[in-house]
Amino acid sequence: MVQSILDAISLGGLYSLAALGLGLVFGVMRLVNFAHAELITIAAYTLVLTAQFPLAVSLIFTVIVTVFVALLMEFSVYRRLRGVNPAIMLIASFGLSTVLQRVYELMFGALPRSAVVAPFLRGDFKVAGLSITISSIITIVLTIVILLAMGYLIEKTSLGLQLRAASADFKTARLLGVRSNRLISAAFGLSGVLAACVALILVIQNPQISPYYGLNITILSLVGIVIGGIASLRGAALGGFIVGVVLSSLNTLLGNGRVYAYSWLFILVLVILLVRPGGLLSKGSELERV
Amino acid sequence: MKHGGVTKFSLQNLLGPIIVLILLTHFVGGASTSLQLVTQMALCLFVMVLALQVFVGNSGVLSFGHGAFALIGSYVSAMLTAPVNIKDNALSMNQLWEPLVSPQVNIYVALVISAAVSGLIAAITGIFLMRLNGLAAGIATFALLGVAYNVFFNNKKIGPGSQALPGVPLIENNWILLLLAVLSLIIVYFINISRIGRTLRATREDAMAAPALGISIFKVRLIAFIISGAVAGLAGGMYSHVAGTFQVQDYYLEFTFITLSMLIVGGSASIWGALVGTFLITAVGQVLLMMEQDLPVFGIQIQIPLGSRAVIIALTFVAVLLWRSGGITNGKEFRIPKLKKIS
Repeated sequence: MVQSILDAISLGGLYSLAALGLGLVFGVMRLVNFAHAELITIAAYTLVLTAQFPLAVSLIFTVIVTVFVALLMEFSVYRRLRGVNPAIMLIASFGLSTVLQRVYELMFGALPRSAVVAPFLRGDFKVAGLSITISSIITIVLTIVILLAMGYLIEKTSLGLQLRAASADFKTARLLGVRSNRLISAAFGLSGVLAACVALILVIQNPQISPYYGLNITILSLVGIVIGGIASLRGAALGGFIVGVVLSSLNTLLGNGRVYAYSWLFILVLVILLVRPGGLLSKGSELERV
Repeated sequence: MKHGGVTKFSLQNLLGPIIVLILLTHFVGGASTSLQLVTQMALCLFVMVLALQVFVGNSGVLSFGHGAFALIGSYVSAMLTAPVNIKDNALSMNQLWEPLVSPQVNIYVALVISAAVSGLIAAITGIFLMRLNGLAAGIATFALLGVAYNVFFNNKKIGPGSQALPGVPLIENNWILLLLAVLSLIIVYFINISRIGRTLRATREDAMAAPALGISIFKVRLIAFIISGAVAGLAGGMYSHVAGTFQVQDYYLEFTFITLSMLIVGGSASIWGALVGTFLITAVGQVLLMMEQDLPVFGIQIQIPLGSRAVIIALTFVAVLLWRSGGITNGKEFRIPKLKKIS
């Protein structure tokens, strides 16, 4: 029981990190970056392929590679699509996602790669007679630390202020002196860092990396940011958390019917959207021109 | 995605794509056995892309849910036509629900039923989905696909589950598939130039001005969604009779992305764009496949490494969007090219 609750919270935290990465980029350029999945995947590959080095070295290397790929996406594709209809950008990000998946397949092979990453984080320990997995605790702690760090960055720093201003009204923010290119690059860089964090947590739980490794969590986080309220970063994080908690709880509660967990989740999403079309944290209903 | 779409009837807009379809079916479809299958698949995909065009192209709302309608159409048509003994044998270990085993109808009756059932499901789900706008609508339609896939993949009482249902009778004649495609094209064309099509495009261009003119966004979107769902159901049904099997996995993410890409690459605002996108992506894929297998293409033999085909297709797709975000046709309908006057 305790373990189930911890699992639900840790999955929720993980999804909220992924949702935050997507929300950052969406905020500044109205782009739903589907290729975020491939950032998580490349981070996971890098972690597994550098597993023989000390964890700190491997982590730094992973962050560098992931941020590099994130910036490459922005410079090669998204920068040229600025101001285009969001639907076209979304479709372009599907294309980019497919390109990267196939490139990974050519580079690393279609079969899963695996290695033991951070073996001391596996196994379980006992508290008051209850057996609890270390990874769930680590996930929760890591998530809280990262969310606090992100919260500090967004609420207290100049970059955070610019990000919030650009999310609220990009044109006005530019007029007030926010440098759009630099800010958008920063948002992509940060989303790369978040993708690396998500990958670290995922790899501890499941070190079998295939070219489609990041796909599932990205789709579910996308669903999360929409039900949370896409207009704000808080909404994105909250929505991701809800999706994670609901999915984990459904898996526990449904027993044999857990194969239908996704159906129940999606039905819940539809209900939330019908009640609050702008997401849970939206203020009133605004017509979005898509 | 904005701008574009015809309002007045013009014979060349309608006949141009039909003639191109006939020529493609005749010359490419008749060239060899493997090209015949490629052409047949392309005709099915074209009907699917038309279904997307009538809704996505006119309303500007992305739908990821049409895979669900194709899935249902394919399921209905396959279950109604597969021989009873195959349903009985192949599915007996899966405890298929008894009343589903015996029904048997003619292929064409089955196709009509599959379009009707998909249209009906589009009507029921559309009542809820069409109240949403923008990205929320996109995610909600994705949820529809998610539920349909999840249920059909896991429930072995209603269908083959994760396995394939073999023995679905084939439509071997290219011209019958062509006839179905042309029929869908004519329906979609007349909807595009009708009042429904025009008001729907008005809501796409300005979601605030259109209601002010007395247009109910919900109503026009719902009507287009139902028609488009029915056409997608037909496309799914046709696909099962070309592939000879029904398999749930055929109608999930990859199918959704490839058909949406075909629409966007061609130009989502016109049926000419749907045609160009479908056949161009199919042709590029086929040429690259032959290169991978080291077969000569138009007498020229170029070999590319195995697996690079998919990378090149996806790259081409991204390049087209970078070059022209309105798609290759930029949403224009077919026109006979005029010679420029030399001054």
